[in-house]
Amino acid sequence: MSSIYQTSVRKPITTALIFIAVVILGIFSFQRLPIDLYPNIEVNMLMVMTSYQGASAADIETNITKPLENTLNTVSNLKKISSSSRENTSIIQLEFEFGEDLDVLTNDVRDKLELIKSYLPDGASTPLIFKFSTDMIPILYISAEAQESLPGLYKILDNNVANALARIKGVGTVSISGAPEREIQVYVDPGKLEAYNLSIESISQAIMLENRNTPAGTVDIGSNTYSLRVRGEFVEVSQLNQVVVGNFDGKTIFLSDVASIRDGGQERMQEAYTNEKQGATIIIQKQSGANTVQIAEAVKTELNKIQQNLPSDIKLQIIADSSDNIKNSISSLQETVIFAFLFVLLVVLFFLGRWRATLIIMVTIPISLIAAFIYLFGTGGSLNIISMSGLIIAIGLVVDDAIVVLENITTHIERGSDPRSASILGTNEVALAVMASTLTLVAVFLPFTLVPGMAGMMFKQLGWMVTIMISMSLITAITLTPMMTSRMLRRNMKQGKLFAPIEKGLARFDKAYGSFIHWAIRHRRKIMGSATVIFFLALIPAFTSLGFENMPASDNSRISATVELPVGTGLNISRSIALNISQDWRKKYPEIEMINFSVGQPSESNAWGTLMNKGSHVLSYTIRLAPKNSRKRSMFEITELMRQDLGDMPDVKKSNVIAGGGNNMTGGQSTLNVEIYGFDFSETDRVASELAAKMKEIKGFTNITISREDYQPEYQVDFDREKLAINGLNITTASNFLRNRMSGALTSLFREDGEEYNIRVIYAPEFRKSIEDIENILIYNAQGKSVRLRDVGRVYECFSPPTIERKSRQRVITVSGVASGITLDKAVNATNSILKQMDIPSDISTVLGGSYEDMQEMFADLGTLFLIILMLVFVVMASQFESLTYPFVIMFSIPFALVGVILSLWITGHTVNTMSFIGVIMLSGIVVKNGIVLIDYINLNRERGMGVIRAVVKGGESRLRPVLMTSITAILGMIPLAISQGEGAEMWQPMAVTVIGGLSVSTLLTLVVIPTLYTSFAKNGIVRQRKKIAKLYQKK
Amino acid sequence: MKSVFITYDQAYQDSVMAILSKHNIRGYSGWQGITGCGSRSGEPHQGSHAWPALNNALLTVIDDSKVAPLLEALRELDKTSDLLGLRAFVWNIEASI
Repeated sequence: MSSIYQTSVRKPITTALIFIAVVILGIFSFQRLPIDLYPNIEVNMLMVMTSYQGASAADIETNITKPLENTLNTVSNLKKISSSSRENTSIIQLEFEFGEDLDVLTNDVRDKLELIKSYLPDGASTPLIFKFSTDMIPILYISAEAQESLPGLYKILDNNVANALARIKGVGTVSISGAPEREIQVYVDPGKLEAYNLSIESISQAIMLENRNTPAGTVDIGSNTYSLRVRGEFVEVSQLNQVVVGNFDGKTIFLSDVASIRDGGQERMQEAYTNEKQGATIIIQKQSGANTVQIAEAVKTELNKIQQNLPSDIKLQIIADSSDNIKNSISSLQETVIFAFLFVLLVVLFFLGRWRATLIIMVTIPISLIAAFIYLFGTGGSLNIISMSGLIIAIGLVVDDAIVVLENITTHIERGSDPRSASILGTNEVALAVMASTLTLVAVFLPFTLVPGMAGMMFKQLGWMVTIMISMSLITAITLTPMMTSRMLRRNMKQGKLFAPIEKGLARFDKAYGSFIHWAIRHRRKIMGSATVIFFLALIPAFTSLGFENMPASDNSRISATVELPVGTGLNISRSIALNISQDWRKKYPEIEMINFSVGQPSESNAWGTLMNKGSHVLSYTIRLAPKNSRKRSMFEITELMRQDLGDMPDVKKSNVIAGGGNNMTGGQSTLNVEIYGFDFSETDRVASELAAKMKEIKGFTNITISREDYQPEYQVDFDREKLAINGLNITTASNFLRNRMSGALTSLFREDGEEYNIRVIYAPEFRKSIEDIENILIYNAQGKSVRLRDVGRVYECFSPPTIERKSRQRVITVSGVASGITLDKAVNATNSILKQMDIPSDISTVLGGSYEDMQEMFADLGTLFLIILMLVFVVMASQFESLTYPFVIMFSIPFALVGVILSLWITGHTVNTMSFIGVIMLSGIVVKNGIVLIDYINLNRERGMGVIRAVVKGGESRLRPVLMTSITAILGMIPLAISQGEGAEMWQPMAVTVIGGLSVSTLLTLVVIPTLYTSFAKNGIVRQRKKIAKLYQKK
Repeated sequence: MKSVFITYDQAYQDSVMAILSKHNIRGYSGWQGITGCGSRSGEPHQGSHAWPALNNALLTVIDDSKVAPLLEALRELDKTSDLLGLRAFVWNIEASI
């Protein structure tokens, strides 16, 4: 008979070397593991964009959005479809189920679009598919402050910074905003144009014709061939002055006679300010799959080099670095792993009292963890919050198997076996039991890999990791542990002197517990009664004061704010308001390390910016606070104060302050969206504003915003087609004239040092200031005859309708709020009661969404997971005991774990959220394991012929230490997590608190309740058996 | 010629083999992993959940002169531990081929 443990004891060198090889492989993997905040969550969004020039929002809705929605709605795996139709464009967002292959989905969408394309209006463009990805989220914002170099800032940054950074491996795009882009403007005076009978068109034509290089072929001179060319392009901007634009009364008219040339920045541009100093913002996005932390490091070292080559007045500074948060979170978790290891070491040493034995046990921890690193490396995973907490949980679990094996081997040695045979026989005896208990834990953690949706994306890795670690610990326990005991343990080994009193104390404790159990099982009613009372008492806080939310919000020292001033506010006013706010905040909140804001319209070349619907009335702030440990007020308090500040400002029409900077799916504050579905604009508007007003009154519910924008004021020019026709004009010609004068004609480029700059011919700014200026525009027809705009058309003010938003193919308007100070479930209740009281027309329906929707989905998924786990654990236990009663008894410890969970969450003020839910699931594994250890030994005692009561008392006495050991290692492993104040601590505190509370209460109660319940069931069993026997005798 | 039947806790396997070879006893027949229980004291060896331990047994046929020293050596081994059992029984051999 040659078993694996026999082989490993007989071949210690092979065994040792195999494990050393595993360790080396693991260290290799560990060094190459990237660091991230969360497991790689694949995106599940697609966007379909279609443009139809000249159509209003309502036209777009009926002609483009609706038919596209109807077709796209049939794509498989589609979860949600929402759209926004605005002037000229339709944008449809498709959200799919998590875990589907986005490439396949994209193809499906493309096929559907192909089908519908021919039914779209003629002028509509081909629908474009955009893939969303997490890579679109910028990882680094760098501000560049400048004084003297400000005019040339764009070029300096583009050449020296952006290009250099873009060369770094993994960097996706580097974009610069807020730096003026150079442009040559030709400001013409319309009066002079009229006097000389010139127009913008003729001037730009003249410039174009003067600014041209022409190759003229080749010429043979003597025996040589030369190429011939004319270099007409401007070399200097001042040359523009000499361009001849026409003749008048026999005199030549130069460009300088009718216009002034300006060489400077674009007129309309986005300005960026950092700590009230103007500069530019450089935004860095990463390539798909690249690692944030590595890139950020590389960028930062590169920045130091770049800074030396820049003009001295340009200062580069990092505004926001998403890698900071990741690094801090992971490093505080790494500390926790070390603490957990130390705690486990102390506990094992305390209970075993032997250095060698402790060493043999502790070896299993690194080996098991290393197996997880190999898994992570092999599957392209990363070290993140979830995988790190998996490691911490596992540290307390992986030692158990080795302890059981070691204890049995020690017993054998103490009985007189020599260490070698004791190692083989001792392992052989418990191998099956150890496998069964590992199987129980696998039954808890393996189902994590099967969860669908968002929860699945988050916890798949955790499930695999813990499963692999405990499997590895099993392998270690039946190979390496016996090998090491056979070499390191001796017969007649004495415990150290230090441990003698501990051993004595523990023995006394065992006895005391034994006599307590003896008392308890004789007063079963009392015990069960009080346990039931405790259970129901604990449910009270669960239903009254415990809050529920999806993910705990975590303080990452970043705040972002969008402030909307009344529509149409000019850049100058916006800028001064923005500067005031910025100054005020810096004075009021000394916690602010840096405040950056941008104001104004992004340039036309910035496609993403134009999509985001910005105007000169919108200010966007990015604020970085001092690190979490160095300030008293939390990010959330400051955010709340900022919201109040903005609310008090009369100029501010709408504001949205987001703690955590950006509404990412995890870590931000919980939002509640009320989606109001209805076709009629005015009705839904009324309901939305009434609801918003009432929601503002809910205490702790802030940042209430309504999604639908206001009607935008604008000027429209209404041409009279008849009058145009009389003058030989048409709408296109006339509107082109208007456009060229107001926004300029771009006809030519000025080249310098390999760069090209636009030459824009436009009315000088002082002639573009009033409606009269527009009305006075001269429009020329083909015959050169001119007519004023006011004679063929009319300028009037009007309002353009807002974007039409739709969701699930219905018009929708969303009122959203942030739960800050109250928990999400309370906000939901309050909102629901408001909705009940409100008078809502029957054709308008409301649905609650936002984080609340996510929470419900997540809780449903996790609830299913919990049920599956309970069933699997039951199956494993039932087959181990070959009984349905004992697993049932053991399962009783889970409600008591819940008692501890509820109480600890209640006392510490945490909420029930995804993380604490995960805590409950993990903890039930450990609790059940404790029950198995206890009942297994009681059963053993009974099989050895003891009576029920004696078996229970003796079993309790002898299993008290292993049970306490398992629980205490797990609890102590979690304590560093629970008290950690590092960045991201809010995320795992609820989980740690759950495990600590649940495990301590359930261990205490389990140690009393399970023996009591066992006795009752066993007694009933015996009574039934006796009755059966009695019946048999009666028959005879 | 006598036959000696030795039955013992598995943990003694190596020691018993060592004693045999020390006494120049080459021939034997052995059984491994068998159940058994002592008549007076000691834990049963049943390989079950309750009593996981198992015995080995060994039958060797040796010259009469070798019996006494072998039994002496086995007794010494048995004394090293109270909890591991070891028993030896001697029979006469009537005939052999």
